[in-house]
Amino acid sequence: MAIIFKNFRSKLINSVPIIFLYFLSITEIDTQFSNYFQILSFNLQFIIIYYWVLRDPSVLGNGHVFFAGIINDVIMGLPMGTSPLTYLVVSFMGIYIRNVTVKMTLFTDWFTFILAIFFANLIYLILISNFSNVAITYLDLFYNSLFTFLFYPLFWVIFNSYRALLGVRIHD
Amino acid sequence: MSASRDDFGIVIRSALLQRGARQKFSLFFLICLSGLIFFLDSFPSKVMDKARSVLNDGIYVTSSVATSPIRGFSYLKEKTKLHFFTYSENKILKEELKKFKEQDFKSEYLSTENKNLKKAIESSQTAIENNTQDNISAKVLLDKESPFLKSIIVSKGSRAGIKKGMPVINEGYLIGKVVEVNYLSSRILLLGDLNSKIPIIIEKFGIHAILSGFGEKRPRLEYLPEGFELSEATTVFTSGKDGIFPPGIPVGKTIIDKGLIEVDLFADPDQLSFVNVILTESSIKEQF
Repeated sequence: MAIIFKNFRSKLINSVPIIFLYFLSITEIDTQFSNYFQILSFNLQFIIIYYWVLRDPSVLGNGHVFFAGIINDVIMGLPMGTSPLTYLVVSFMGIYIRNVTVKMTLFTDWFTFILAIFFANLIYLILISNFSNVAITYLDLFYNSLFTFLFYPLFWVIFNSYRALLGVRIHD
Repeated sequence: MSASRDDFGIVIRSALLQRGARQKFSLFFLICLSGLIFFLDSFPSKVMDKARSVLNDGIYVTSSVATSPIRGFSYLKEKTKLHFFTYSENKILKEELKKFKEQDFKSEYLSTENKNLKKAIESSQTAIENNTQDNISAKVLLDKESPFLKSIIVSKGSRAGIKKGMPVINEGYLIGKVVEVNYLSSRILLLGDLNSKIPIIIEKFGIHAILSGFGEKRPRLEYLPEGFELSEATTVFTSGKDGIFPPGIPVGKTIIDKGLIEVDLFADPDQLSFVNVILTESSIKEQF
C-alpha cells in the first residue's frame, strides 16, 4: 500500500510540469498583462519547455509538447501546427544545448534561451506571414520575446526550488 | 575543422532522433508531423475542415469546463470588489451627476447634436428591432487574449444557423464578427483585433470611414476624407456599405488621442458574458 502511494505521489509530482503546460494551453490563464502594463506579455510555455527539456527531460515528453501546441493553436485560433512547431524548436534547442554543455548554470541556460526564443519566433513569423492571413504586430512579438527572456531566471529559480523540494539533486 | 563539423552533425542528429525514457516519439518525427498538419490546415479541404471543427468543439468544451473554477473565482472577486466599492463609487457618481447638471443644456449646438443622435439611435434601434427575430443569443465560452489576436469563443455554431461574417452585438452595440464556425461553437473577431476592418458612418456628418483594429482596446478610424476635422465624442454607427452588416448598429464614440482618431467602444470587450449574433442573409464565405 505504502509503495503504491509512494509511486502515485512521485508520478503526480513528476507530472506537475506537464499538467501546468496543458493547463496554460487549455485554460484562459493569460501570461499577458496588457491591462496593467501595455507591453507586458511573455510566453510561459517556452520557459517551461526549455527548462524541463534542459534540466530533466524525463519529466516532459516531446509528445506532450506537441499536443500542448495543438491545443494552444485551437484555443488561440492560429493555423494548426504553428505552436507545435515553435514548441518543438524550443525543445530541440534545449536538447541540443544539453548535449553540448558540460556544466549548466543559470547564465548558460539563460543566454542559450535567446537562441531558442529567436529560432522559435522566427519559425512562427515565417509560418504566419507566408502561409496564413493572420496579421501580427512585430513590435508585440518583440516585446513578448524580450519579456520571455527576462522572466526566465525567475522561473528558473522557482522550478529549481521545486526540484530541490522533490529531493532531486540540481546539478545532476 | 572537419572533426568539429562531424561532432556538430552528431549532436544535431542525436537531438533530433534520440528517444529517452519518456520520449515515445523522436523530435524529428513530431516536427515533420507538425509541418504536415500545418500544410494540410493551410489548404482548405472538406476533410480537414471537418476534423478541425470536431477538434475545436472538443477542446473548447474541455477548456470551458477546465476554466470554470477560474471564472467562478473571478466572479466572486468582482462581486466582493463591487460590494466594497459601491459606497465610494456612489460618491463619485453623485459628483459627476452634479457636474453634468451644471452644464449648459440650452446650448444650440448640443441640442442639435442631441436631436441628431436621438434620431440615429432611433434608426439603429429600429434596425436592431427589425432583426430581432434573426438574433440568437450565445454564451461566451472563452475569452483568452493573445498579445496578437483579440477574439472570443461563443457557445453557438452552425447548428444554430451561424455563418462566417455575421455581425455580433452586445446589448445592442457592435462588438465584432464571426470568423470561424464549428458545429457547436464559433469564434468572434473583436473590433480591436489587427485583422478587423468594419465600414462605419459618422452619423452627425454622414461621413463614411473604416474602423480598423490595431491590437489595442480602442480601434481607430481610417480613410476619412482629406482635411476632415472630427470632434471628440461623436457617435459612429455601422454603415452597412459592405452588404453584410445591417446599417445603424451603434459602435462607440470618438476620442482624439495624439492626433489619432480612436473609437471608445460602447460594449466593453473585457466584460462579455452573453452576445447576440445577427443572422444576416448576406454572410461571407471567406474573409478571415
